[in-house]
Amino acid sequence: MQDAENVAVPEAAEQRPEPEQQAAEEEPERPAGPRVQEAAAAASVLVPEEKGGKVAAAVTVAKSGLEPEALVKTPAEEKASGEPTSVESPPSSSSSPGEPQPEKILEPKAESLAAKEEKREEKEKAEDGGGKEEEEEKEEAGGEKKDQGKEGEAEPKRLENGNEEDEISFSDPEGFVDDISEEELLGDILKDRPQEADGIDSVIVVDNVPQVGPDRLEKLKNVIHKIFSKFGKITNDYYPEEDGKTKGYIFLEYVSPAHALDAVKNADGYKLDKQHTFRVNLFTDFDKYMTISDEWDIPEKQPFKDLGNLRYWLEEAECRDQYSVIFESGDRTSIFWNDVKDPVSIEERARWTETYVRWSPKGTYLATFHQRGIALWGGEKFKQIQRFSHQGVQLIDFSPCERYLVTFSPLMDTQDDPQAIIIWDILTGQKKRGFHCESSAHWPIFKWSHDGKFFARMTMDTLSIYETPSMGLLDKKSLKIPGIKDFSWSPGGNIIAFWVPEDKDIPARVTLMQLPTRQEIRVRNLFNVVDCKLHWQKNGDYLCVKVDRTPKGTQGVVTNFEIFRMREKQVPVDVVEMKESIIAFAWEPNGSKFAVLHGEAPRISVSFYHVKNNGKIELIKMFDKQQANTIFWSPQGQFVVLAGLRSMNGALAFVDTSDCTMMNIAEHYMASDVEWDPTGRYVVTSVSWWSHKVDNAYWLWTFQGRLLQKNNKDRFCQLLWRPRPPTLLSQDQIKQIKKDLKRYSKIFEQKDRLSQSKASKELVERRRTMMEDFRKYRKMAQELYMEQKNERLELRGGVDTDELDSNVDDWEEETIEFFVTEEIIPLGNQE
Amino acid sequence: MFWGTRKKQIVNVWYSVNGERLGTYTGHTGAVWCVDADWDTKHVLTGSADNSCRLWDCETGKQLALLKTNSAVRTCGFDFGGNIIMFSTDKQMGYQCFVSFFDLRDPSQIDSNEPYMKIPCNADAKITSAVWGPLGECIIAGHENGELNQYSAKSGEVMVNVKEHSRQINDIQTSRDMTMFVTASKDNTAKLFDSTTLEHQKTFRTERPVNSAALSPIYDHVVLGGGQEAMDVTTTSTRIGKFEARFFHIAFEEEFGRVKGHFGPINSVAFHPDGKSYSSGGEDGYVRIHYFDPQYFEFEFEA
Repeated sequence: MQDAENVAVPEAAEQRPEPEQQAAEEEPERPAGPRVQEAAAAASVLVPEEKGGKVAAAVTVAKSGLEPEALVKTPAEEKASGEPTSVESPPSSSSSPGEPQPEKILEPKAESLAAKEEKREEKEKAEDGGGKEEEEEKEEAGGEKKDQGKEGEAEPKRLENGNEEDEISFSDPEGFVDDISEEELLGDILKDRPQEADGIDSVIVVDNVPQVGPDRLEKLKNVIHKIFSKFGKITNDYYPEEDGKTKGYIFLEYVSPAHALDAVKNADGYKLDKQHTFRVNLFTDFDKYMTISDEWDIPEKQPFKDLGNLRYWLEEAECRDQYSVIFESGDRTSIFWNDVKDPVSIEERARWTETYVRWSPKGTYLATFHQRGIALWGGEKFKQIQRFSHQGVQLIDFSPCERYLVTFSPLMDTQDDPQAIIIWDILTGQKKRGFHCESSAHWPIFKWSHDGKFFARMTMDTLSIYETPSMGLLDKKSLKIPGIKDFSWSPGGNIIAFWVPEDKDIPARVTLMQLPTRQEIRVRNLFNVVDCKLHWQKNGDYLCVKVDRTPKGTQGVVTNFEIFRMREKQVPVDVVEMKESIIAFAWEPNGSKFAVLHGEAPRISVSFYHVKNNGKIELIKMFDKQQANTIFWSPQGQFVVLAGLRSMNGALAFVDTSDCTMMNIAEHYMASDVEWDPTGRYVVTSVSWWSHKVDNAYWLWTFQGRLLQKNNKDRFCQLLWRPRPPTLLSQDQIKQIKKDLKRYSKIFEQKDRLSQSKASKELVERRRTMMEDFRKYRKMAQELYMEQKNERLELRGGVDTDELDSNVDDWEEETIEFFVTEEIIPLGNQE
Repeated sequence: MFWGTRKKQIVNVWYSVNGERLGTYTGHTGAVWCVDADWDTKHVLTGSADNSCRLWDCETGKQLALLKTNSAVRTCGFDFGGNIIMFSTDKQMGYQCFVSFFDLRDPSQIDSNEPYMKIPCNADAKITSAVWGPLGECIIAGHENGELNQYSAKSGEVMVNVKEHSRQINDIQTSRDMTMFVTASKDNTAKLFDSTTLEHQKTFRTERPVNSAALSPIYDHVVLGGGQEAMDVTTTSTRIGKFEARFFHIAFEEEFGRVKGHFGPINSVAFHPDGKSYSSGGEDGYVRIHYFDPQYFEFEFEA
């Protein structure tokens, strides 16, 4: 029988029978969905038929010495009281497999019991036998390995006393214990060693196959063969029939279980035609589903882990913010309270992270990166809250709702187990789904909708939208969008914007699509497009599409801003034409203004535009001769920092856009980063060791551009403000607060004065004690000095040199004339 | 009067009043690393990368003695009485770092080039700076790894060892009365120690390697000179090289003034013995002498 062959074929080694079956048994809490039931029904039918043969095979392999009949008989005897057909079926199937048993499908329940019994027994047998043999094998291999181990041991020994002995001794020292497992020594080779497998693993069941009469059976077989022989050589097939027609499900057997697995992976869900979508399962899977008990067990209640108040930092009386700082080239990470005077350290740890850190979008968690995965920290003491094991993780992304974490690792992605990208549930730490990924060039690969309900990914001509918590494709299918170049979610609603470049006669277009309905709410056609960039305003009120075009008959690129007003009916679009090349564009976060840097260095200008309610877009102000390449809006809007980072030497301009005044122009030489605090009160500029090796520091400024602190940190790398969750205050409450601002500011001013006078008092006090201590020390030193006076006099032949003029009498006056030119240099920083 | 060494082969003497050159001591064939004069300025001692240490007559510039060594002479100095000289040699060309002691009163030592004592120093961290302690009883040496050792000048044993700096100690200067000294280190700090106990007293922080530090003879002030390392200078703008002499209050550890002027790192700073001026020598090839203006003498911290 071909089953015996199976065992001998080396490819079969990839699937070890025991773990597979154990895994199947250990899966009781799997929900018994309709598909499972269906499968169980199907299994009940096929078990006696195909199994008979298989059992025999398994037994012969296992050398259990039992006659196949004996095995098969057992269930039959047990089932003697049951249906007569089912009693007869096992022997009949063993003698002539391939004969249909039409009655059985009608009594699946009784049958399934029988099948279960039979299978379990058989499995036990197989396991026993297999286990024994493997043990033997192990022993053998172990013996061999032991010898190798001795060799390895002997080597260094020889080196030690090589001078005395030339002969190499391979024998172990007495009492030598071999503690190296064979997996450790030759795991790579052992992996490929032939392993036994019973043929069941190579069998698949295909459902939803068209039901045909004998006239078309041959044709069906051809079709099936064509589809399924792609995954490997089919050694056996069986088409059960009923009333002259096939029953709509078939069995196929491959040469090796690997092929069967391949078929299940790739042919499941195959659409033959409109009515027939194949469902492909491993034959052994039916086992798995059948062991599920009919009773539903209430899942055990997990003990509640009290993590404390994860948002404690928001309750701080002074409303200070926190930030994380990585320094000493990444060896140390600190968390600070931001304070006007000096940062207050909360936590400092060595080697907290191996590369960098990230805050979750609402600030609840701090993520650290390690070779083995990601760790999340939080709460008052920054305890570890969760771990996600992902070898070689490089990039992460949080869902906006902080429920899910996406991690990316370039290592370890295998064909059949996608784990380049893994989506995790943050609360439970469970892996939700893995994805393949070739390149991380455009991180994040998965973009989240603002509420974390959907996430989407773009591949060639396709936009795949997934939904949470199932992590499955929305409506089970991706969107085919030929040529799609870029997409982006609205931060204010479940709307996706994407654009497609020109294709022959079809113009380029920007599409806005509502989800999950997939309704296109706006399509904008564009001509002669080179490139588009999508910029959403933070609330999703506006979308700006920056369009680079090469109009016909002209040379060079012209840029337009197409402004979509999302909150109005039919989404009207207005166009702003720009005459110069664009360096940067940024929306005001909570407003309707945007800033544009344009021109060519060194003639760079910044322009501020305002989108009015009637749709008119007005240029408010333009400043020319700017040294800037990046725009940083305050998270609250209104204020903006224009920064000339890196190559522009760290020039900074602080602008108030309500009346468009330059509040301050400053410089943080070689600054590489600008970070607004989440409240928009402070800005930090920093020179990161990652981009520049000297003067690594971060400076704290007020939003008006007044320098408050210069914090030099050795090999400072990164500062990140801890984000705050969105405010709980209603619009009216905010309005009220703004109205009463005067009243509040009085209180705050008083507080500031108090703390300032306290600080200066403290400083003076500190200086005083320092001075006193120092005087005390000096007095002691002086006393010692005076004691040694005689010794000094002795050493210098009785000349007192303690004071410059201590021996004026000996001086000889000598007059020398000099020509002196004097240059007076005012002292810098003198207080 | 002061001496200037410029990592060149000649030592110059200048008038500190107007910068007129008084004379030179010529003879060395390698960069001169160190110069010292005895207390009554009769003799001058120089150490050079030409593997020699030479003794000169101060006034005439005549070479009085030549002591050949196996490797470059990094530091040298007269003891308090001017009778014993000490110099340290680099770990170089397979030779260890040594501190050698000669007694000038015994000419045979110089003639035979046999020091009365030679202290080998630990192999991995050579001496980068050294001065005599009070009364000539010991020397205080700063090492490449930031360690400070006090060696007895009689027995050669290590009397005290401390490690307060994390990187090379570039310079050590004592106070006028020699009861305390200030170190300048590559770890961006200068520190004040007690000469006898080597107890750490104060720390002065900057954001650049400190090449030299000096104590004011009249006020509680310290001046620090340093800057970007010479090899990194080209990669940064001169604006941020921070080649400034920086003044700190000795007790408060607070900076109160800076003097610009050099366009290369400052290698050496020194106060005039009267405390009314100071000089700084820079990698840029200039030695600058600055007189303090009246505000300096009036300035006081609020305390």
